[in-house]
Formats: sequence, C-alpha cells, structure tokens
Amino acid sequence: MNAWTPVIVAFLCNWCSYAGADLAGTGRQQYPPNIRIIRVPCSGRVNPMFIIKALVDGADGVMVSGCHPGDCHYLAGNLYARRRFAVLKKLLVTAGVEPDRVHFTWVSASEGTRFAEVVRGVTEAVTALGPNKMTGGGAGEL
Amino acid sequence: MSFELQEKSLRELCESLLRDGVAEIVVGFGESAFASGIAVPITVKKPEDAAKLSWNSRCVPSLARYIAGRKGVAALVAKPCDARAVASLIAERQLDRDNIYIIGMECAGMTDADGSALAACAECSSRRAPVFDSEITGAPEAFDAPDERSAGENSADRFRGEMDKCILCFSCRQACYGCYCETCFMDRGAPNWQPSEPDIGAKMIYHLGRAMHLAGRCVECGACENVCASGVNIRYLIKSVTDFIECEYGFHAGMDTKTLPALQTYSASDGEPGFWGKNNE
Repeated sequence: MNAWTPVIVAFLCNWCSYAGADLAGTGRQQYPPNIRIIRVPCSGRVNPMFIIKALVDGADGVMVSGCHPGDCHYLAGNLYARRRFAVLKKLLVTAGVEPDRVHFTWVSASEGTRFAEVVRGVTEAVTALGPNKMTGGGAGEL
Repeated sequence: MSFELQEKSLRELCESLLRDGVAEIVVGFGESAFASGIAVPITVKKPEDAAKLSWNSRCVPSLARYIAGRKGVAALVAKPCDARAVASLIAERQLDRDNIYIIGMECAGMTDADGSALAACAECSSRRAPVFDSEITGAPEAFDAPDERSAGENSADRFRGEMDKCILCFSCRQACYGCYCETCFMDRGAPNWQPSEPDIGAKMIYHLGRAMHLAGRCVECGACENVCASGVNIRYLIKSVTDFIECEYGFHAGMDTKTLPALQTYSASDGEPGFWGKNNE
C-alpha cells in the first residue's frame, strides 16, 4: 500500500507565479509533485469560494500565489486579494481549518528557486497535518 | 424612561411626517393579527393609522430588508442595528440617502418570549443610531441575558456542531440586510457551488461563503440567529471576521453613509497576517 501524500491545489497568477513555476521547471529545481496548479489571470481573480470549495471537496491544502504587492499586472488586484485572503484565513481558522492548510504567498517571475522552496514548505506543512477531515471523509483522488 | 413614552413620541412623529408629506410611507413595527407577544413589520401610509405603530421589547425583526427598491421617501423605525444596516446600504449604493428618513430609536436591546435579552442584543453596546434624521430617546435599562457561553470546545467541533443543526432553509439569508444579491451564489446554476447532495459539505459552503460575503459588512443585528428554526448560531463565525476586520483595517460597518466596506478597498500598507512566512494565526 502506498503511503499517503497530500493533494494541494495551487492557484497561481498568470503574470508572476505561474512564470515563476515555469522558471523552477526550466531551472530543474526539485520540488514535491503534490501541487495541482490552476492558472488564474490574477490573485485578485481567486474567489474565496474557490478555496472553500477545494477544502470542502477534500483537497488537503490550498496555496495561492500572486505578484508581489506593487507588481500586479492589473495594478491593484493583489492588494484587494491581500485583504480578502487575510480575512478568509481568519474565517477558516475560526471554522476549525488548521492554519497550515491554507497558504498565501507572493512569487515573482524571476523567483524560480523561491517557488520551489515555498512548494517544499507548503507540502511539508500539509503532510504534517495529515488528510483533510473537514467534512468527515478523507481526500478524494483529484 | 420607558417604551410607552417612546412609542407615544414615535406615533406623534410619524403622524406629522405623513401629514406633512415628508415621508410617503412609514415602515415600522405593529401588532400581529395572528400571533400575540411579537411585533411584526408593518407599513403605514395614512396619518390616522400612525397609532397602529408599536414599540416594545419584542420589536425583533430587522427592518432594513423592507425598504430596498422603493420609490419615494420611506421613513424607517430604526433600532441602532437597522440604522447601521441602512447606512451600510447607502454606502454600497443600494439606497438613496434622500429616499430614506431614519427615525433612530434609542434601544435597550430586544428580548425573546421569556423576557431575557436576545444573544445579539446582549453583546451589543450601541444604544443609539450612528445615522438618523430624528431620534427618539428615552429607552429603559438594558435587559439581563442568560449566560450560556460554550467553553473548551475546539473550533472544528463547534463549527461541525452548528452545521449539523442547519437544514439549509436559507432563512438567515432572507432575513439578512446584507444579502441583497438578486441571485444568491447558492441558487446559481453556473458556477454551481452547491454540491448535488445537501450534505454537510453543502452547508459548509453556504455558511462559509455567506460569511465571506458579509465580511466587514455585518452590523451584528442577530437577524440570522433570531430567524433560525433549528437554532444554528452562525453569528459567532461572522463576528470573528467582523472583529478581525475592525482590528486589522479599523473598519466598522454602517457607522456612516460614505465609507466603503473594508473588502471593497485596499491600502498599500495592509498587513499580511497568516501569510507565508508571517505569523501563522
């Protein structure tokens, strides 16, 4: 029987973090294969419902990454997102979701190494928590 | 200092508002034709009917829901939470300031059938409306509340416990001043957020989604809790977010008619609590 490894949904913005992930790949940076990348136009596009739905449907972790504040392609998308994520995390923690299941970060297009580092850190943190038990069942195959 | 005196002034004020044409309609509380002991929302259009308005410790419903989309000037008998809801609706451009006449009632908090303060009212510290056109003061002392705070329960169990009680009737949404979307995200076919089965996951999606939509907009009127048929306390969840927003961004919903809700704006110097590499709480 295979050992359990987490399924982590990663929302990456098109302009910075997705390019950062690309750079990590072309630079042959090693990072765990547990993330499932979903490309979004901007971190401001990430509806809190995406994250709630992912967790309720059994994802073990969620990670959102966008451009560093000040570098947004749409000028302020990530600044709106920053408030939204801070509030969402407070809400999820109140509802009993472990703080280490949801991660928000900024990765620029030139930070391939940082991207790999963050994914390693996120995977480690979520693995330490074990499967998502939010609705009672374990993680499904995603 | 009593409800009777306030009620008397309220009736006189409303009569003159209607007679002088300041307002076309008064939305307030009155006796129910079917049930005794609870005030129900009523509308008054003729000056001589102003005597039908009542004001007592059972004026529980939130009236801010009843004035949206009206043409002409409506006067609203407003508890502090109703006045905050109206101010918030004006800030969100759902209401025209010129179309609403707010009668701010000094409020001692409302009670349930056995005379003890409602949970939301017991926690509420505002006796007077932050925004009003006329004010009727003279409320009695606040009512005592039974202390029934659950302690020691962990947050996941508490949330699950509340979700187990929910029957997804959406009463809380219907009663909430802030839920004015024409089509709620739970009723939408695309994107379809609601799982096909109304299980605990569907309830979590509904309540977490609604809490996010109300984040920083909740006026803590407790309407969600008061209408709930199965006793779900969802207010605690939204309150945690409301408190967080007040502490983090200094925003308190409905205190004036100009300031946009905290999540509709941003500041370059916002903090990043709970972000990667920051304090994780």
